[in-house]
Amino acid sequence: MTLQTEALPEGSNSQSRRRRVKANDRERFRPSTLGWILPASALLIGLFLVPTAYAIYIGFTNMQLLGPNAQTFSFTGWANFSRMIHDPVFWYSVKLTLIFVIGSGIIAQTVLGMALALLGQRAHIYVRASVGAIVILAWVLPEIAVAFIWYAFSQAGGTLSTLVGHPGSDLLSTVPLLIVCVANTWRGTAFSMLILSAGLRGVSEEVEEAAQLEGASYWRRLFRVTLPIMRPTIMVNMLLITIGTISDFTLIWAMTQGGPGTETSILPVYMYIQAFQFNALGYGAAIALALVLIGALLSVVYIRQLRPELRRGQ
Amino acid sequence: MTTIELSQLTEQDRKHKASEQASEPLRRRTRRQRLFLDAVLALVGVAFILPLLWLLDAAFNQNASQAMSWPSLTLSNFHSAVAAGAGGAIKNSLYLAVVSTIIATFVSILAAYALSRRRVPLKGLLLIGIIFLTGLPITLLLIPIYVMYVHLGWDNSPFYTSVALAATSVPFAIWLLKNFIDQVPREFEEAAAIEGSGNIRILWKVVIPLALPGICVAAILTFINSWGAFLLPLVIDANPQNTPGALGIYEFMSANGRVEFGPLAAYAILFSIPVIVLYLISTRWLHGGFAFAGGVKG
Amino acid sequence: MAKIVLEGVGKLFKGKSSAAVRDLDLEVEDGEFVVMVGPSGCGKTTTLRMIAGFETPSEGVIRIGGKPMNSVLPKDRNLAMVFQSYALFPHMTVAKNLAFGMKARHEPKATISREIETIAGMLGIDSLLDRKPAELSGGERQRVALGRALLRRPQAFLLDEPLSNLDAALRVQMRLEIKRIHAQFPVTTVYVTHDQVEAMTMADRIALMNLGRLQQMDTPERIYDHPANTFVASFIGTPKINLFAGSVLRDGGIPRVRFLDCSSSVNGSAGKVLESIDRSAVTVGFRPEEIRLAPEGGGRLPSVQCVVEMVEPLGPETNVVARAGEQLFVCKTAARSGLAPGDAVAVEFDTSQMKLFDSESGDCLD
Repeated sequence: MTLQTEALPEGSNSQSRRRRVKANDRERFRPSTLGWILPASALLIGLFLVPTAYAIYIGFTNMQLLGPNAQTFSFTGWANFSRMIHDPVFWYSVKLTLIFVIGSGIIAQTVLGMALALLGQRAHIYVRASVGAIVILAWVLPEIAVAFIWYAFSQAGGTLSTLVGHPGSDLLSTVPLLIVCVANTWRGTAFSMLILSAGLRGVSEEVEEAAQLEGASYWRRLFRVTLPIMRPTIMVNMLLITIGTISDFTLIWAMTQGGPGTETSILPVYMYIQAFQFNALGYGAAIALALVLIGALLSVVYIRQLRPELRRGQ
Repeated sequence: MTTIELSQLTEQDRKHKASEQASEPLRRRTRRQRLFLDAVLALVGVAFILPLLWLLDAAFNQNASQAMSWPSLTLSNFHSAVAAGAGGAIKNSLYLAVVSTIIATFVSILAAYALSRRRVPLKGLLLIGIIFLTGLPITLLLIPIYVMYVHLGWDNSPFYTSVALAATSVPFAIWLLKNFIDQVPREFEEAAAIEGSGNIRILWKVVIPLALPGICVAAILTFINSWGAFLLPLVIDANPQNTPGALGIYEFMSANGRVEFGPLAAYAILFSIPVIVLYLISTRWLHGGFAFAGGVKG
Repeated sequence: MAKIVLEGVGKLFKGKSSAAVRDLDLEVEDGEFVVMVGPSGCGKTTTLRMIAGFETPSEGVIRIGGKPMNSVLPKDRNLAMVFQSYALFPHMTVAKNLAFGMKARHEPKATISREIETIAGMLGIDSLLDRKPAELSGGERQRVALGRALLRRPQAFLLDEPLSNLDAALRVQMRLEIKRIHAQFPVTTVYVTHDQVEAMTMADRIALMNLGRLQQMDTPERIYDHPANTFVASFIGTPKINLFAGSVLRDGGIPRVRFLDCSSSVNGSAGKVLESIDRSAVTVGFRPEEIRLAPEGGGRLPSVQCVVEMVEPLGPETNVVARAGEQLFVCKTAARSGLAPGDAVAVEFDTSQMKLFDSESGDCLD
């Protein structure tokens, strides 16, 4: 806000001067501003908001991909949702999704990323740079390439099978969820490594030294001082991992198509199968809504953890 | 040397020896620790690189299989990949990526500039909404977009697929660019305005050059995102001529009854190269921007 | 409680061309309060960090309590340190900050809470025990840092510019507090600062450093009255000592020194040194309080005519910047001297306090 005082004729006393002071809001709303945000708004409204509302609507109908209910579908109320609640495959899918997101995402990637960040701190710079480059390369690779590599890796006769001593077994059929989780961790660790390294650098050196001087061992310092100070960073990292992993489709679809059977049918995959293979668009939409709900619930957990820091205006 | 200087010398030597020995144990311990950590880190690196090594091996190996074997070098796998459609598919991916990046970047710059510099009604709400949208999974939008596209006749069109892909990247791009533009001092724009430049001119000549690192990061991220697009094209574009790289690889995997590891590996490498190159370029000269894209102030 | 000994300690950082610390021989007696002072970059903080163990000496031995400590990790040295930024754990309450060290040593809960209560009471922070560092003022944070250090019951205390983040009034108050605490817990203390006032008021002995070398280590009085070189003379004492170029006059008898427009005989040990060496140029030093307005009609002390350039009334006294020829110097006068810029006055030099320095090396000629 800029204060504008008008030039006053000589001899005016302070009282009239005060009355003449105007507050002039620097940022007036200019209609042209709408022009600037119009294209983005059109895109976001048209391809985010409208579809979201439409998805909610479709969830309440029996719309189909092809067939009788493709063009003329009817409102079915809660039918899809009640079907969902009673669908054992759905709940199995929820379980798989949670294992996938929390296991290979939150836990594995955070722990591995943190370990790499900590190791990288003390190691020689060449080792740190090369290992870092390799890990990041795994992240930059297109998802389909990752899926293909790990498909091959875990086949009967593949390198992974050989390494674990079961060269003959098709790991992808025997422990599909595990393989898919490993592939996802391999792919995603770089992200955590980068974010947590940055967070690690943000811990004041003097605080670390003070902890050392107090006689604390390395592990005590790590768990009682360093990690607690990094909590906001860790929470943001987990939030971003969750958002990224929960709607992951390509990796699993390309490796197992959700199989064998339904053993790797996480919710996005199950949704696709129901909507585009079993023809039930309405049911698929309902599943998608459930997915968003789960994602939102998980996010709330992290955001609540961040609340004290958010309040202080980080 | 006089006797006095000689004895001074040995006194100094003795002191030097004593002082060197004093710090030696710690230096040795620190060196050993560092080597151990190096070893552990290297081990992790080896574990990570194995799958990549396999990919390289299979792509150039005449006898490629799911196992790793000493390659009998050949380029035939690459020929097979192209024969299977790699060239066309990669061209399609290029189209999708480029068009969606242009759309997304253009749209986002405008919006980010307005949000950063202008008074926008309900700005706070809008910004929170945008952050929310970055977290909205595409899985929710998939079905309705499919239905809408079919209704509008926009399915099977690379252009409209690009539009959809652009939209998925826009929220993050706006957030990123707005934060970037916030950091650019307003004085430059004010100076230009005083000299009589119109808004578009200011944007083009002043803001964009200054925000270029952020713009590049946003563009690169959008490009990488759209390059690997799988689900969206799978659903809204059934025309085999429009198949992008990711779908092409998938289809090749399930074609012919058996998986042809060699050609597929070559295909995967061909498909990955542009993205890897882009990443290398971006880290080289945009290091600050990339860290910023991580969204963490450390 | 222990004696700290540094023998021939030096530190060269990788990639730097000159050593941060070189040839340092220093002893801190058991229970002594030593202040290491010097300009930025003089090596005082590096030395402190070597004593603490955060840096390893490139050469030399550091002994604490008689035992060589070069290879001992900081956590095993049983030292306590107050950092410039206090380094309080930001995610812990004051109570938890204080308890951290004792918990690390696995002391029983009852002991921990008892100790915390005692220290908190002593330092006046018991009402703050449940607050986090972000909620405390600078002075409060400093007291918590002191408390945490005291609770270590260390062999020695290290303080790294603990007062530089506080405002002037608080600084004066905390100076007294720290000395009071030291009186109550006479632990060997090494205190680093760039402020010579802190050094003069707090130290049992001052260790003055410049460019990595120890310039002089002595009690505040001795450093003030008998500075070892021109650097020490200039660094300690406000306003700074006045240094004049002087030439030696020898005519068989007691040597005389000529500076500005006057000359003085050099008696005592300085005179004997002058007799024995073959120097003709020296640097002559007088502190501002040793230059006074000459009494009417002149006096017995050498005096010089000068012109007042600037008058700085300080309240209890007045600093006068005067010019004699090309040379500017500062002298002190009584509070209401009535002088104004442009006045011509005569000043006299209290030659009993005259300091002579080698004009090349700057070393004191005593």
